[in-house]
Order: sequence, then C-alpha cells, then structure tokens
Amino acid sequence: MIIADAVNTAIIGKGLMIGGGFIGPAIGIGLIGGNYLQAVGRNPEAAKFLGQALIFVAIVELFGLLAFASIFIVK
Amino acid sequence: MSFGLLSYLAADVGPTVHVAPAGVFTIGGWTITNSILYGWICSIAIVAFLIWVARRVTVKPQGGIIQFIEAGVDFITNLVENSFDDKKVGHKYVPFFVTLFFFIILNNWLGLLPFVGEGFSSEGHPLLRPFTGDLNGTLAIGVVTMLMVYGASILEAGGPLKYLKHFFIGSPLNPLYFVIGLLEMFTDLTRVLSLSLRLFLNITIGEIVIAVFAYLGSIAAPLTALPFTMLEVLVAALQAYIFTILATMYLAIAVNHTSAHPADDDLTDAGVPETIGVQTAGGSARG
Repeated sequence: MIIADAVNTAIIGKGLMIGGGFIGPAIGIGLIGGNYLQAVGRNPEAAKFLGQALIFVAIVELFGLLAFASIFIVK
Repeated sequence: MSFGLLSYLAADVGPTVHVAPAGVFTIGGWTITNSILYGWICSIAIVAFLIWVARRVTVKPQGGIIQFIEAGVDFITNLVENSFDDKKVGHKYVPFFVTLFFFIILNNWLGLLPFVGEGFSSEGHPLLRPFTGDLNGTLAIGVVTMLMVYGASILEAGGPLKYLKHFFIGSPLNPLYFVIGLLEMFTDLTRVLSLSLRLFLNITIGEIVIAVFAYLGSIAAPLTALPFTMLEVLVAALQAYIFTILATMYLAIAVNHTSAHPADDDLTDAGVPETIGVQTAGGSARG
C-alpha cells in the first residue's frame, strides 16, 4: 500500500511486462536465425528454406507482440 | 513524416500514439472510423491500379511496376501450387491467395505514407489510419480467410463429417484420441485470432516506432524516422507474405491430409529400415 502511494506501480508493471515479454522472442528469433545460418554454412543448398525460417520467426514473434498488447490492459 | 512535424512539436510530453481507431464522422447513426475511411480509399485505389496493370500485361515483359506485379503473382502462384500434393487442386485456390497477398501488402505500404497516421488530425484524432493498423480490419481479413479455408477443406474432404474426422489421429471412440481431437479443434479456432493479431500488432507497432523516433528527432524528424520507415517497408512485405503462406498452409494441410491416406500406408512400409531388428533388444522377434 505504501509503495502504491509513493510510485506509479502500473508503469513498473508495464516495464516488467515489456522487458520480460521481449526476452523470450528475442532469444527464439536468435536461435532460429543462428541455426538457419549454421545450416546454410554446412550445406549451402539449404538457403532455399529461408521462407520456412521466416514462418517460424512470425510464430515466435507473435508472443512478443502479445506481451506488447497486454500493456494496454494494465491500469 | 514532415507533414507530422508540427503536431509532434506541439505535444507537451511524449509522442502522441493511438492504438485504437477513432470516429471521424457519422452517417445515419453509423460511426465511420479513420481506418475504414482510409480502407475504402485504399481499396478503390488498389482495384483501379490492379485493373490498370492487368490491361497492360503482355507476353513480352515490359519492366517497371507491371513487371513487379507480375513477379509477385508468379511468386504466390508457385508458392500455393507447390504447397499442395496435387498441383491441379492448388491451382483452383491461387486467385484467392494472390488477392489476399496484394490487398495486404498494398494496404500496408499505403499506410506508411507521410500523411497517414499522426499527420493530419481532426479534434485530436488522426484523420487517416492504415486499414491493417486496426484490429477490426485485420479481424475481418482473418475471418474471411479462415471461412474460405474451412469451406474449401470441407468441399475437398467431401462432407463436414469427413472433415471433422481428420482431427482425430485414430478412432474417435478411443477416449484419449477423442480429447486430443477436441484440443486440435480448439487450436484450429485460435488461428483466426493469431492471424489477425499478428498483422494488426506488427503494423501498429511500426506506426508507434515511427512516431516515437519522429518525436525524438524533433526538428530533424524526417531524418530520424526514415530508417524505421525503411524497416517498416520490409516488415510490411514480410507480414503480407507470412499471412498468405500461413493461410495456404492451413488449407494445404487439411486438403493433403484428407486426400492422401493411401500414401501414408506406403510411407510406413518403406520407412522401416531392415537393420532395425539387429540393433534393438528382442530384435530377432521382429526380424
């Protein structure tokens, strides 16, 4: 209660939500990109699978976007 | 972004950011929001532009913008046809996905123009807003896409019951398979939301990022916002591609699965290596 009076906890909550929510997708997209480049390095013919890598980027990215959308329901 | 410069300077603290659309005027009790207003303008422009292009397509390539549209049509056509086991089945659905791709990509790009977004404002709200930067708009695109996918899947499967049966990996009478099948159906229904939320949030976040950097740049707003506008051009094309390929995959998975059961039997026969009996315990019984 004392903390809630002194500082705006909603801003702290939003900050934690953005920061925490963006860590996961950042790691995930890094893993996808790194593994794609490793695959291309080992076997250059695998470069044609860039489209499939981008699909997984989109799926991973959605969770970060959901974290971003959630900050608007915190009052 | 130079059009929006004055409104950023006038703001006291922070950039003005809008996530939801705002009403511009009302017609007979219906509120016309800024996003649907720009959506109508863009739709007319897109239809007129694509008709103009279609009249000028020739056998000998001409170059320029017509070449670009042709390359896009060719790209999506190959994508859709190669997703299906039977190319003739895939060819039937090419027009829908090409339309979807060009509608989304051109709407995204038209939404990046400087006068859209925070540029012109009336009564504190932007006058125009990108159509895909509004959840109502992208939800409409997602619902239409998934209705088409469900309808086509049912038609290809030959009846609603046969379509529903492909959610179950075995007999639906088995309790475990029944629960898994129900979960699969629920996962299928969330696709509408995931498709529309991804497009909406990507475009809206792009608008916000551009607005924030234009605000930080103050006098030099066009210079600071330019790199992020360039990034958003790429993101807009990527999102249109992802929306199209995901919708294609949803349809292709359902159609291929319901029509390709004989192939599954062949795979299980050929997929078992002959040496499996030697390496596993009790292999002699299998061999």
